[in-house]
Amino acid sequence: MPVSALNAVEEAGTVLRLHQISKIYPGTVALHNVNLNVQKGEVHGIIGKNGAGKSTLVGIIAGMISPTEGEIFIEHKRFTTLTRIISKKEKISIVTQDPQVILDLTVAENLFMGDYICHNRLVNWKEIYSRAEQILKKANLHINARAKAADLSISERQLLLVLKAFYVENARVVILDEVSASLSQKDEQILYSIIEQIKANGNTIIFISHRTDELLKVCDRVTVLRDGKTIVTESCLELNQEKLSSLIVGENFKISERTKGSGPTCDMNEEPVLSVENLTRLGFYQNITFHLRKGEILGLAGLRGSGRTEILKGIAGIEPAEGGLIRVGGAIRRLTHPSQALQEGIVYLPEDRENEGILGTLSVRENLILNALPAVSRGGLVNKARERQFTAGIIEALGIKTASQEQEVNQLSGGNKQKVVVGRISATLPKVVLLDEPTKGVDISAKESILDIVREKLSKTAGIIMTSPGLDDLIMVCDRILILYRGEITGELSRENFSEGDLYLAVQGNRKTNPS
Amino acid sequence: MPKKLQMQLFLLNNLIWVIIAGFFILNVVITPKFATYDNLVNIVYHSAIMSLLVLAQGLVMIIGLLDLSIESILAFAPGIALLLATKWLPVGLDPVTCIFLTLAVGALVGLFNGVFIAKIGVNPFLQSLSMLIMLRGVVLFLVPFSIFPLAKAYTYAGQGRMAGNIPVAIPIILVIFIIFHFILQYTTFGRYFVATGGNARASFVSGINTSKMVIWAFVISGMLAAVAGLLAAGRQGSISNSMGDGMVMLSFAGAILGGASLDGGKGTPLGMLGGALLLGMISNSLNLLGVNVSLVYATQGALIFLAIVIDRVREKVRNHLLHQEQVKKMLHQEQQAANQLAAG
Repeated sequence: MPVSALNAVEEAGTVLRLHQISKIYPGTVALHNVNLNVQKGEVHGIIGKNGAGKSTLVGIIAGMISPTEGEIFIEHKRFTTLTRIISKKEKISIVTQDPQVILDLTVAENLFMGDYICHNRLVNWKEIYSRAEQILKKANLHINARAKAADLSISERQLLLVLKAFYVENARVVILDEVSASLSQKDEQILYSIIEQIKANGNTIIFISHRTDELLKVCDRVTVLRDGKTIVTESCLELNQEKLSSLIVGENFKISERTKGSGPTCDMNEEPVLSVENLTRLGFYQNITFHLRKGEILGLAGLRGSGRTEILKGIAGIEPAEGGLIRVGGAIRRLTHPSQALQEGIVYLPEDRENEGILGTLSVRENLILNALPAVSRGGLVNKARERQFTAGIIEALGIKTASQEQEVNQLSGGNKQKVVVGRISATLPKVVLLDEPTKGVDISAKESILDIVREKLSKTAGIIMTSPGLDDLIMVCDRILILYRGEITGELSRENFSEGDLYLAVQGNRKTNPS
Repeated sequence: MPKKLQMQLFLLNNLIWVIIAGFFILNVVITPKFATYDNLVNIVYHSAIMSLLVLAQGLVMIIGLLDLSIESILAFAPGIALLLATKWLPVGLDPVTCIFLTLAVGALVGLFNGVFIAKIGVNPFLQSLSMLIMLRGVVLFLVPFSIFPLAKAYTYAGQGRMAGNIPVAIPIILVIFIIFHFILQYTTFGRYFVATGGNARASFVSGINTSKMVIWAFVISGMLAAVAGLLAAGRQGSISNSMGDGMVMLSFAGAILGGASLDGGKGTPLGMLGGALLLGMISNSLNLLGVNVSLVYATQGALIFLAIVIDRVREKVRNHLLHQEQVKKMLHQEQQAANQLAAG
């Protein structure tokens, strides 16, 4: 494959070129002078850590985000910005990571939605169904065209959208944004064979993935992004997994003051405050076993879909596990409702802050006090003075920026909203704190201060389990990191052995980095 | 927080009472016989039944849902209780037991609504719509004309008068509103209740038993509707099958005027009392001015619209004030830091 592909690259011209593209958001630079050159008929990989700017970049190409500066060339037409409509007219399609299909419509309708085959302004259903069946057959996908999209698995829905982009929209350039993350192993193979077919037709694919092995297998060339800049565009023939990983991660992780100075936050001889044995939830995670000591900060490192959120939700009683044991302070507990977990001193900070974290229309005070109401009330009656004093204490301690206790939480910035949730769950003096991506979507200074709170305040009294979209947060604060891959724990690193490069490989399923 | 801002926020939070005061003064000037003692008592008395429905609807709205069935419960609860007492049971029941029975029937219907909505996940609009139609049908079937005479003790709440010719219904509803205001503000139950309305998913995740809260909302709503039924039966001295017909839409108007929102998490019982009183005051003054009854109804509809607009504007102004305060605070801190630098 690579040889013929390279020939194709040489013969064909450039189909898409980005020149000095920058995107600046208030407070952050998402992309800085990025150049990208995509050849006709190639599979072009884009890879980088979380926050490297991958999504912004493909958003610009697909016309969903407009760049602050720079030029875009499609074949030889020059644009300074694209809209989704222009982008579609230029035959650029995008398949995003969460498959958006209309559940109540049939497979065929979903395929041809927006591009109905018409005859005298009437939809020609017969033609649509027969074309849909052809497409499904060509892709070797065994789905009935008349089945409802709701009957398909997430993985099949994702493939359906890939087929739509390739065969119905007949796109010249198709962007696959972390599509394989929601595919089953079998469907992954189907995707790879579809990609082969498309390439043979001379169309172009921009392939975004978190997994280096997959990228090397599928792509002809790879562009590495880091901190919003293009680091290199390299032919896959010149790369192997180690080399690619080191390009992605960059120079060795700079050890910050915080990391260097501090020893472990816990006494390793202490009895575990939480033990999990063989915890299993079918299709999400299997045989998860670990212990957590008081004061320890345990990191769960894994890709999207590795089961990290589901494990935390299992322990918090939100989506209870189906098998296995949870021991809190030595005693076996069955936690099937969040209120039971709260009773045991287990609190959970949700990944989805807007929907599961804050009570947006309520005041800062009402949010902060919610879990600690029993502490400021007697016999079910709330003592208002103590409540206000208590809330003021938390606002002060966490440095929450708000005009008054009575301000609506919706009015706060992302970082302050997150601090409100942190304040709420820590107000109960919990024994176990589950932090699901506590630094997600907050700016850099809020991130620093949240990590400080975790290490300096929360870990004084509680055992902490934490996940993070980026590995650097975990490396900065954790005492121990468990590696999660496809719902299983595949390795464990303790603080002295942390290295971002090793971790990056490990979360993708390479087992060799087991320190023991 | 500076005094001026506190004052502004206080007025915004109690906007409904500001409007009532304004409307009152306007009517004193333009409407003859409006500001007489008898008329004012009359307004409150005639608002009593509606105000209980407003509170019932408002509490369900605070939790983020809605209950259409309350106007049918208003007739169903006293109807069933009285039929049990006079016809179906071999021994007659005394009026006080009858009152409790009325409340129990209302609560049971609410419990039925609540369990299906919270545990089975039935859409609250459809659930309460079916109950609205079903209960009204049952009442029309079981009570062909009307049930009367009623025992004196049973009608006392709706008919009785106390010193100063004030109907007993007035202190009854005032006490009910104050109790619920207190519960929502000062008890852990009330706070969990409001939190569930603010964001049910987040409240569940944070360890609140949200389905219990939803069931309670409907039980309370059913019970309040039954109390309203008690007052209505008392006032007309009989139980008719059309009691409460068409009142549910206006219960939304009162609740929204009182600060509730369909998204939940907003509104206070005392605000809702204000909303109900404003409704009553407007229809009273229009009556005194000799405006056609149908136009009065149209005016109340327009009021719903006005309430929603006022609510949005109030929210905007409030956020603007608080935002300005935050900016001022920030500038002040920067100034201080600069001063310190200069001094150091």
